[in-house]
Amino acid sequence: MIYSSLGFIYLFFPASLIIYYAVPRKAKDIVLFLMSCVFTGLMGLKILAFTALYIAVNYIAAHLTYRMAVVKRRQLRLIPCSIGIFFDILMIFGFRSEYFSFITAPLNLPDGVFPIGISFFTLSAVGYLMEIYRGEVKADMNIVRFSLYLIMFPRLIFGSLMSYSVFVSALRRRRMNIMEIGRGLSLFVKGLGKKVIAADSLYALYSAVVSTDTGNLSLVSAWLGVISYVLCLYFTMSGFSDMSTGLCRCFGFRFPGGFNYPMFSGKIRFFAAKWQVQAVQWFRRNITRPLTVLIDNPRLNKIIFILVWAIGGFWYGFSVGSMIFGFLMGTAIIIENRFRNLKFMKSNGILYTSFAVMLMSVFLMSDEISDAFRYLWAMVGGNGTIADSLAAYFARYYIVVLLAAVYASTDLFKNMVVRVENSRFRWAVYVFSPAVSLLLLMICTAMMSYSGSSGILLLM
Amino acid sequence: MKLSKKITAGILIIFIVMMPVIMILKKSFRFPEVSLKGLSDGSFVHEFEELFADGFSWRSMWVSASAEINSCIGEPIINGVYITDSRLIDTGSAVQFDAEKTAGIVNSFSEKCTGAVYFAAIPTSAGIYRDILPEYMSGTTEKQKADILYEKLNTDIRKIDAYSILKMLSDSYIYYRTDTKWTCYGAYCVYRTVVQKLGFMPVSYDKYTIRHMTDGYRGNLYSRTQYTESKSDQLDIYEYNDGTETTSCTVYDNHGGKYKCELYNTDAVETDNMYDLYLYSGQPLVKINTTVNNDRHLLVIGDEFVLNFVPFLTKHYSEISVLFPEYMEKETDYFVDTDKYEQTLILLGMDKMNILEMIK
Repeated sequence: MIYSSLGFIYLFFPASLIIYYAVPRKAKDIVLFLMSCVFTGLMGLKILAFTALYIAVNYIAAHLTYRMAVVKRRQLRLIPCSIGIFFDILMIFGFRSEYFSFITAPLNLPDGVFPIGISFFTLSAVGYLMEIYRGEVKADMNIVRFSLYLIMFPRLIFGSLMSYSVFVSALRRRRMNIMEIGRGLSLFVKGLGKKVIAADSLYALYSAVVSTDTGNLSLVSAWLGVISYVLCLYFTMSGFSDMSTGLCRCFGFRFPGGFNYPMFSGKIRFFAAKWQVQAVQWFRRNITRPLTVLIDNPRLNKIIFILVWAIGGFWYGFSVGSMIFGFLMGTAIIIENRFRNLKFMKSNGILYTSFAVMLMSVFLMSDEISDAFRYLWAMVGGNGTIADSLAAYFARYYIVVLLAAVYASTDLFKNMVVRVENSRFRWAVYVFSPAVSLLLLMICTAMMSYSGSSGILLLM
Repeated sequence: MKLSKKITAGILIIFIVMMPVIMILKKSFRFPEVSLKGLSDGSFVHEFEELFADGFSWRSMWVSASAEINSCIGEPIINGVYITDSRLIDTGSAVQFDAEKTAGIVNSFSEKCTGAVYFAAIPTSAGIYRDILPEYMSGTTEKQKADILYEKLNTDIRKIDAYSILKMLSDSYIYYRTDTKWTCYGAYCVYRTVVQKLGFMPVSYDKYTIRHMTDGYRGNLYSRTQYTESKSDQLDIYEYNDGTETTSCTVYDNHGGKYKCELYNTDAVETDNMYDLYLYSGQPLVKINTTVNNDRHLLVIGDEFVLNFVPFLTKHYSEISVLFPEYMEKETDYFVDTDKYEQTLILLGMDKMNILEMIK
């Protein structure tokens, strides 16, 4: 079950929200924990059993690391911490990479079934162990709270990544009132709209383009394909991120959103910093910074920077292509910094950033490296056609969606709303926003009504 | 602003809670069967989500609205159905079965039969009208797949090339506009060839009296789109009075039970399930006895394509047994003794080849 499904929106979510608000404050964490277990259990009892084991291993590893940190021989804490991290990494590889699927083969899960959110809760778990290792937090005795850190269902799918101390303080300072639910639901519906209306329409164009033989793709079709892919990826991930942030808010937690309008940024590094903000910060905090402090050599540090980006890229799609995407992204940022004072770079920021992002994304979207090169060849007109009847067909049916998606991926609409809010017409925002939210929910419901859900189609 | 957010919360919560409450009140939601296997591998939740969507309040209205929205914001494809002015076409490939495996099943089945086995793979409407689809939807065609399948069948199996017959007549009303299946006329056109191969002279078209039962039929493609602008279809009955008639029609279920039915259930056209007009029972076996006095027995194995096809055969056989593997919960031998039939006709749509697994 994912957030963008009728079963979740119209059954699981309202039921859990009602129970959560009905029980006394003391029992709320337990209720949320039990609901999260049910949510995980719905993926399959085997997945639930795995998650329980995962939590137990990390809980024990965290405690042993902490205990050893306070006794005399502090360096021993490296052992449980490494074992915990090794286990977490082994598991994510077992589930996400086909080369390591033998690790999770004993679970005998059907094809394509894996613990949804494992990429994110692995980062949380590894980050927690590292925080304890560095002595930044104490190991939490409260296993319910610790479990919530990993598998809290409103945060499970593309949710906000944060350090354990920030999470615990958010739990303490929860605000539960009808206004927060209103804000949360608005954000949830906005995310749902991004996924169901924008991402799914763009996916139709992307899949239509890639179902054509790459050797026959015209230049225009190839560009339409990659533009729709990048926008679809953005609307899918930021849509789920908004849904997650909105759900958390309904349950009283104010977590930051993961995307800050990265599309059409003026610099590649701005794009990189605004796309899944917390994940980028996680890699910087837990890998780049410790290594650069340790090595302290500007040239080597640049290589480390690029390699960490490659690891980040790999974490995205668990494929060689996604690793190359990360590698290229890291390299592009270094090159951009080197030439940042050039006049061309300053005046054509949006143009070259968008161009570079599209080109690099080809590696993210291709199954094989050779496919990526063939696709890039089509993008430069290597197949000998600039535009053909197919390109005209795609343009005819998708131009409106593409233009609307480009507009919606920028902060232009948000800025307009802010301007209206600050003007004497602010009443219009207050009057229309509930109606727009309801309308958006109804449109999404209609668009999910046949299949019952709108699945995560990319990077899965 | 605070008030606005409170109103947002209020109306969205009311709307969200209202939907399941209506479903409960209308009893439109059927809870899936709980099994340990389903719970452990996660298939339970898939089934649950499907049933939840099926029983969702005002579902057809939502699907219909989705059709309108989709046709505004992209290609005219709704839930995998391509919409044109003339007809609805399924874009989901009907050729996803394994030709080698299917041929293997049919071959081993035919080796077990003492009588002759005839095989007809019937293209769906997407197989005949695929030229209407956009050019990027290429890939293996139903015709190519059928050719591969036929090539792998044993030489003693008599193959019927339904594709060529139907393709030649594609300008006629041989497929419903809102369904993947053929019309009675499409079935008749293939019947002419099939029955000759079976050793009979076909009844000529002008001898039939055609009764139009309804012109308001909307088929499986319509159900997927709820696209109200699509033209509805016509359901016909072909009658020919040559002195012979159907004496009985008996339905057999999976548990040894049986009951009588009619070759044409004319009352069905007044209900939501109009297509039940043709022999539909949802059960694994239907036996038809006629007054044809030749003691010829035919076994037909098929899917929905046989429903309006079998009535044409009733003028040639004293007994026809129609087996629907889709509904079989037990082995073939439980329902029929294949040795008893001197002829067996396997006739099914290209989209249903996988159901032959059941006759293994």
